[in-house]
Amino acid sequence: MELYNFTATELSDMLKEKKVSAAEITKAFTDRIDAVDDKINAFVTVTKDLALAKAEEVDKKLAAGEALSDLAGIPIAIKDNICTKDILTTCSSKMLSEFVPPYNATVIEKLNSLDYVPLGKVNMDEFAMGSSCETSYFKKTSNPHNTEYVPGGSSGGSAACVSAGEAPLSLGSDTGGSIRLPSAYCGVVGLKPTYSSVSRYGLIAFASSLDQIGPIGRSVSDVAMLYSAICGKDNKDATTANREYADFKADLSADIKGKVIGLPKEYFSDGISDEVKKNVMSASKVLEENGAVLKEISLPSTDFALNAYYIISSAEASSNLARFDGVKYGFRAKDYNSLTEMYENTRSEGFGDEVKRRILLGTFVLSSGYYDAYYKKAKLLQQRILKEFSGEFTSCDVILTPTAPDTAFKIGENFGDPLKMYAADICTTTVNIAGLPAISLPCGKGANGMPIGMQLIGNKFSEQNLLNTAYCYEKAVGEFNTVASIK
Amino acid sequence: MKVDIMHIAKLSRLKIEEEQIPKFEKDVENILSMVQNLPELDDNGALIDPDNPMTLREDKAEQNFKRDELLKNAPATKAGCVVVPKVVE
Repeated sequence: MELYNFTATELSDMLKEKKVSAAEITKAFTDRIDAVDDKINAFVTVTKDLALAKAEEVDKKLAAGEALSDLAGIPIAIKDNICTKDILTTCSSKMLSEFVPPYNATVIEKLNSLDYVPLGKVNMDEFAMGSSCETSYFKKTSNPHNTEYVPGGSSGGSAACVSAGEAPLSLGSDTGGSIRLPSAYCGVVGLKPTYSSVSRYGLIAFASSLDQIGPIGRSVSDVAMLYSAICGKDNKDATTANREYADFKADLSADIKGKVIGLPKEYFSDGISDEVKKNVMSASKVLEENGAVLKEISLPSTDFALNAYYIISSAEASSNLARFDGVKYGFRAKDYNSLTEMYENTRSEGFGDEVKRRILLGTFVLSSGYYDAYYKKAKLLQQRILKEFSGEFTSCDVILTPTAPDTAFKIGENFGDPLKMYAADICTTTVNIAGLPAISLPCGKGANGMPIGMQLIGNKFSEQNLLNTAYCYEKAVGEFNTVASIK
Repeated sequence: MKVDIMHIAKLSRLKIEEEQIPKFEKDVENILSMVQNLPELDDNGALIDPDNPMTLREDKAEQNFKRDELLKNAPATKAGCVVVPKVVE
């Protein structure tokens, strides 16, 4: 078996047992990128030389008998909205097409201290705004299961590269489903952590009260390992919670006897395709056979969550993206006669249409006379959604839903139709609105051969519980860690 | 809901070409018609999680970056400053 087929957990064990060197592991993945990325288009930047140099350092440490972390020598792809010192960080936008950050995001500092191997930066929807990875300024990433289909977004490159065996692990970010949706579409495992458990320092901001960095991998254990590495209090992000975290991978247990799994009826309504419903319900039976207790529940405000999400996220985006003005960094238009015109031309030429739509929407809902009708109402609805979840978590341990209403769509099918595109987020945005953790797992395939994803949602900081339930399912159905056979 | 897209674009510091106005107007109006359907709710309570408080770091000046490192990404610089068009006549 080629090395790129192994999970990060397996590679980590093989490396420590000296069955393989870190350089060999890295070479296997850079070779795989050379072989398939012209079809997948997951990478914006491949840092091959840096990766090999880091791998050789790890091999030296191993030879010298130094203790290695679980992630030492493991290549990881990084979404291109996470700042990497001296490595191009574009946010898949013309605006930042030449931006080389002078600092690392906190998550990168943490991974560096564990001797990870930086494989490169992966494609995304421009400024993480999108559900298909088609709004990237550079290229459209393809779904490895069928290259005519989108990988989902916005972390499309992060999910596609893991699914295609171009990286064993990746980091994505999730504002309304941007880790979970592409994980579902590409048949991999993606965790959106509890808001405030992972530092956002160095994550290029979209909607600061919703954004969260999280791991994507091909096994639950891999995702647990990467989450343990990145979570924690950070003085550079005042919103990070002041608490201690367990070693999620070490504490993984497939024992879910007596755990109550809630099935909210609003997530199995008419808007969800029959084959998705069927597969997610079958998955719930698997959990039941393993000792879980199923319970039908109701989250009545679900239907409004997408509305609240687009108001809150666009409002915050319009404010966050005000900084891109062509003065201190990023793109600057060539022609202008005044400072105002420089701002306007820079922003009009530097941003794509989807980003402009969100800025316009956000500016509108915050503008004089409309604030109460939109933004304030959405914030109130956010409290209602939080309360509904808290109420259900008094009697449920985990909530099970589909990740997306359907399997992946074809490239170009929904492009330019914002409402169709936004509907893909219908099952995921509530989780960001409520600040909860959720994991997407593969649960079969649709008639078109594309993967179906199920979503497990937990109470705040209950990642261990979520990961255990996911682990139980993974064990019960056999491993789902196979690399996609690229079509 | 009718949206004055040129006014919103001006507030956003975006220039929208004449021929693109109808498209953006329609897009934003469609999105607004999707999102405006929200229930009336009472204004009570704040979104604060008392179990997981956030803390501010000590307000202490630290030297994190050198000026020239930060200016490397600026589109135009002169004598250690960013250069912009003349603002004051």
